[in-house]
Amino acid sequence: MFHLLKTEWLKIKNYPGFWWIMAVTILSYPGINGIFYVTYKQQTANEKTAAKMIKMLIGNPFEFPEVFRTVAFSSSLFITIPAILVIMLITNEYTYKTNRQNIIDGWSRNEFIIAKFYNVVIVSLIVIALYILVTLGIGFSTTGSGVANRFELAHYVGYYSLQVFAQLSFAFLLGILIKRAFIALGTFIFYKIIVENIGAAFMIKYANDAGRFLPTESSDRLTPIPAFLGKLDADSYQKALSLLNQQAFITVGYIILFWGLVFWIYKKRDL
Amino acid sequence: MSILKVNQLVKSYGKVQALKGVSFEVPEGAVFGILGPNGSGKTTMLSIILDVLNADAGSYEWFGKPASPDLRKHIGSLLETPNFYHYLSAVNNLKVTNSISGRGDLVAIDAVLQKVKLFERRKSRFSTYSLGMKQRLAIAAALLGDPKILVLDEPTNGLDPVGIMEIRELIGELSKKGHTIIMASHLLDEVEKVCTHVAILKTGNLVTHGPVHDVLVDEDIVEIGAADIHLLKQVVKDIPGAIQQVSTDQFVQLYFAKGSARLADINQFCFNNGIVLTHLTLKRKRLEEKFFELTNN
Repeated sequence: MFHLLKTEWLKIKNYPGFWWIMAVTILSYPGINGIFYVTYKQQTANEKTAAKMIKMLIGNPFEFPEVFRTVAFSSSLFITIPAILVIMLITNEYTYKTNRQNIIDGWSRNEFIIAKFYNVVIVSLIVIALYILVTLGIGFSTTGSGVANRFELAHYVGYYSLQVFAQLSFAFLLGILIKRAFIALGTFIFYKIIVENIGAAFMIKYANDAGRFLPTESSDRLTPIPAFLGKLDADSYQKALSLLNQQAFITVGYIILFWGLVFWIYKKRDL
Repeated sequence: MSILKVNQLVKSYGKVQALKGVSFEVPEGAVFGILGPNGSGKTTMLSIILDVLNADAGSYEWFGKPASPDLRKHIGSLLETPNFYHYLSAVNNLKVTNSISGRGDLVAIDAVLQKVKLFERRKSRFSTYSLGMKQRLAIAAALLGDPKILVLDEPTNGLDPVGIMEIRELIGELSKKGHTIIMASHLLDEVEKVCTHVAILKTGNLVTHGPVHDVLVDEDIVEIGAADIHLLKQVVKDIPGAIQQVSTDQFVQLYFAKGSARLADINQFCFNNGIVLTHLTLKRKRLEEKFFELTNN
């Protein structure tokens, strides 16, 4: 394991493109959640009646414990940024044909994919760490001392982690299949944002919500909308919360399927 | 002992059969040239023995053992184009090679870069290199850690005449040290000069293989000349053992069965018939002629 990690480190440590996108990733998570938080504060800070009503209606989604769900949801909207990193890390190998050279130099095909698996795990861990830091930062700065059940929703760390790893694994699978960075990224965005959203919405109406079994929609359901938005359709929201563990099992199934496909494709394919 | 044993390798790309059951062995210490026109299957075969392509059928062994990644670590290889990380320098690219293969160390990296004359540019990014410099770096990567086996696909691609000569000398030097080199090349002159063994491929079939002198010499060609070329042509018509006679303005070439030409007897025959030879030599077919003959090009 150490040997594979060392080699991957040699590949990326002097790669400016990687560090630029990593910087964007690191800045975007606190940035996006910070913007949401500041907007909420501005809307509820003054003494006008409308502001008081908003505060009364939606509560404070940035206080513990709800902040775990709120930040998980808003962060999940920006999975495309770390997906760029993951897609770049594999498609670069195809672009430079270094995936062939790594095998020629003595890696097995499995070792090559295991090394890339570690890359996806590390990028996922960075994103999860950012989520935890942003959640705790916002939570501790907004929550009053009277709140006792601060970590009641801390299990969303697990749900969010599963979602991130599943979706980055999906991005990696597309990278392996398509080999070209821009086409793979375009396919990822088009499939996740257009195809699955439309498909899932259609299936809610006509196929008994079978859309929750789709490859990325299944893990999207792990980070439901914050509770104040759930009040708009309380029944659907409660149903979504009750299905979280089922969605987690489906997501684990997809992670196994994605990586199983990656290993199988790489073993069978000519390089 | 065979370093590489290839047994009935078959490979197709859709309907195109690139290799049609190719078998041969590479003896230890050989400089083994693989020749063939474009599309004959040379690179496909090298790609299979380096596990970049999966064969449809057949097998191969390195060092008498089934191929494995660990065995491949002991082979320095250059396949088709130089494949490196464009954003990394020569040194950092070779660190990746070293990390994967375990061949060489930091001192060895500097040494191979000096050997291929890239030391001065060792810290420049690969993307800034010329074609020839990229090829030199690929050769440096293959040489890293002084592997006993080298697989070189068109090693002189993109090199200037001096570079080509240097690679030729390097191959000769490595061969003298007992290294085994498997080399695919279009440059017949180059192969003829450095190779001890040769295999010729044509449209996926192995046309011939073996030691260079056996492959090239399938008949003895004796070239003779005299002051009166017309009389010479008349006289040698009846020379015993000659299979074929080819005449030019200056010389007559007599073809004998392999190993049967006796220069002294020919000289004596001509002298007895009133001809004093001014030119008498036993010629080998050049690889170029043989290649064109075998591949019908």
